Amino acid sequence: MPPYDKPQMQKPFKLRKSFATRKLEVDGIRSKFPNKIPVIIESYQRERYLPPLDKTKFLVPQELTMTQFVTIIRNRMALLPTQAFYLLINNTGLSSMSLTMAQMYRDHQDDDGFLYMTYASQEMFGSS
Amino acid sequence: MDAATLTYDTLRFGEFEDFPETSEPVWILGKEFNALTERDDILSDITSRLWFTYRKNFQPIGGTGPTSDTGWGCMLRCGQMILGQALVCRHLGRDWRWDRGQRQRDAYASLLNAFIDKKDSCYSIHQIAQMGVGEGKSIGQWYGPNTVAQVLKKLAMFDTWSRQVVHVAMDNTVVIEDIKRLCMPWLDYGGACADPGGASALNGCLEGAGAMAEEEGPLWRPLVLLIPLRLGLTDINEAYIETLKQCFMLPQSLGVIGGKPNSAHYFIGYVGEELIYLDPHTTQPAVEPSDDGQVPDDTYHCQHPPCRMHICELDPSIAAGFFCKTEDEFDDWCMRIRRMSCNRGSLPMFELVETQPPHMVSVDVLNLTPDFSDSDRLERFFDSEDEEFEILSL
Repeated sequence: MPPYDKPQMQKPFKLRKSFATRKLEVDGIRSKFPNKIPVIIESYQRERYLPPLDKTKFLVPQELTMTQFVTIIRNRMALLPTQAFYLLINNTGLSSMSLTMAQMYRDHQDDDGFLYMTYASQEMFGSS
Repeated sequence: MDAATLTYDTLRFGEFEDFPETSEPVWILGKEFNALTERDDILSDITSRLWFTYRKNFQPIGGTGPTSDTGWGCMLRCGQMILGQALVCRHLGRDWRWDRGQRQRDAYASLLNAFIDKKDSCYSIHQIAQMGVGEGKSIGQWYGPNTVAQVLKKLAMFDTWSRQVVHVAMDNTVVIEDIKRLCMPWLDYGGACADPGGASALNGCLEGAGAMAEEEGPLWRPLVLLIPLRLGLTDINEAYIETLKQCFMLPQSLGVIGGKPNSAHYFIGYVGEELIYLDPHTTQPAVEPSDDGQVPDDTYHCQHPPCRMHICELDPSIAAGFFCKTEDEFDDWCMRIRRMSCNRGSLPMFELVETQPPHMVSVDVLNLTPDFSDSDRLERFFDSEDEEFEILSL
């Protein structure tokens, strides 16, 4: 796959909006859809190999497992099964794929009420 | 030359720091050493690993391509090293030692020949670079740990001598059933996926399959398990450091391929907070096998004290490798991984599950578009920046 040379330079969601706005958004959507988890999924800022997602904000059924969620995202990006794709929760750790969205949300939701995920492939190695 | 002369007293390499004198245990590919009393043993064990480096003046790749891999081949060389270690375990055993200048077993010559820089060697730089085209990498492009793992998986299918299974576990998940299916393809797994007790029932089937399998070989095709991971975004998440160390303590360990940003290394163990690695970043002339099929092999073993780096310098993109020659070894590996996952404080690097979790799910995607009738909803769903939620429904 040719690298995506022009990384999307859009600022991360958290920097685009104030805490108060984000919190308000979550409160609003949660009251309408109490059984769905509000998820923000963004590209790693230095990601060069995965295509951009057209959406950032998702409302995900709480019983969906991470495996299922990753499959949805992988399909949407039209990735081959052999391509590396990782979702890092809160920019730190990999998620356990057997957990449900509800479990992820319970353990990792942000103070603003969103669950934040960053997707990335792997770095390439060589020296110029 | 006698192996006993290969000691720290006789070898002096100005540019390489001596191995540290420490009472902390040294772990190399599943073996524990004492740095104070077993220094020569440590050196001899490391020197016995196959060391693949940049080479120059080999046959042009693809007939007209590069004749050297300097600057781009480091991850490909690391892939050769981790697979080379698997073949050593497969054909010579983990405890096999290389003696400089000594004539080795035939299996050793066959093994080395599989990696010689020629187009028809099974795991040559030529084969790896050309097989990478199918992974979207043109010849001379840089690889990641997953890229080389995927390529090795394909090349292993043509290795009729070793008859190993190379399995690459994706999405940081190792599925036991997938592996048993690959390593014992003669067993019938029909319908087992939905059966949570399927894995335990396998042992019963095994005896029946034994007679059939005897004709075509062992009961278990030796397994090379490669697990590509991303342990952080820019830096490794420290919660993974203990689990990473524990990987080198497993008897099935093949080490880890990864690196510092841009430079790939083959990590074979650790001492204290430092990783021990073999470095492919030395360009050596390509080697021609002699007429009797023997390969002059001095340059395929690293004879200076091994390189070390602080574990926090590790780039988060890695692939961990394990070798299970028998089903018992694989079951033992699963048991050890489960025990590891229970350790407090540290995060598991990957998940081990019995069966493939259901992937497919029919999800209705509801995009809230401006012609949506409920204007009150619209107000809530659209923010000032015109970003909308995408709603997934089961």
